[in-house]
Amino acid sequence: MFGGFGPVIIGIIYWILSECTDNFEISGFEIFLGIASTYLLAFVQAGASVFNQIEHWPLPKSTLIHFLTLFAAYSVCYIGNTWIPFDPKVLLIFAAVFVSVYFVVWTTVYFSVRAASKKLNVRIK
Amino acid sequence: MKLKIFIGKTDEEEIIIRAREKTPLIEAIERLVSEADMDIIGYGNKEAVKLDVSEICCFSVNDGKVFAHALSGKYRLKQRLFQLEEKLPDSFIKINQSCLANIRMIERFDASFSGSLLVRFKDGSTDYVSRRQMKSVKERFGI
Repeated sequence: MFGGFGPVIIGIIYWILSECTDNFEISGFEIFLGIASTYLLAFVQAGASVFNQIEHWPLPKSTLIHFLTLFAAYSVCYIGNTWIPFDPKVLLIFAAVFVSVYFVVWTTVYFSVRAASKKLNVRIK
Repeated sequence: MKLKIFIGKTDEEEIIIRAREKTPLIEAIERLVSEADMDIIGYGNKEAVKLDVSEICCFSVNDGKVFAHALSGKYRLKQRLFQLEEKLPDSFIKINQSCLANIRMIERFDASFSGSLLVRFKDGSTDYVSRRQMKSVKERFGI
């Protein structure tokens, strides 16, 4: 469902860029590549959650594979779309931002599930 | 509330309840009757056992085979999960695509580090609540 918002968000970004930049030009292929990338990222994001449900995998393994899958998909899309340049310094900043966002999202999800489990445990008793 | 029991060897067994409204007691009787009416045969290592539904923690699918996790052990069933879902009493809820859980046999819920809600049953087995079923599980517990 949320994959459907990707093209809308990218459309808004292109719109803002065209309003704020004097000579903003973008080809039809670049628009197509941007929209296809948002779908691909949504697809990978949804599919990668399977790693967390493989019970015989230890947590560090499933988390690491989940993280690496998303990082690889995002890196390829960002570089392929030239949303970030292929520059070691920029890639390092990208990696740092990615790790931070991943940690924040992971923590938020964990605490929200923990709150739900506490409420359910009260109801069981 | 009046209780009348007529015992006659030739009579067909039936329970009739006359009430002004559905109370927790009536719901409990309904549950007992539906559980008593269910015949579930589980297959252990060597023998077939008639399982008491109220003592089953959950039904789960593993490698395409359906198992009942009871307090007395794990048993293979011949029915498919959707067939069980149709006839099980309402104390069983679907917590993910491959598991029907008995809410009266849930020991506790835990948050797993993978971000999913873990269910611990009284027999020590565990399963998780899928994101798709999370809403209906919460609603079932009045959250």
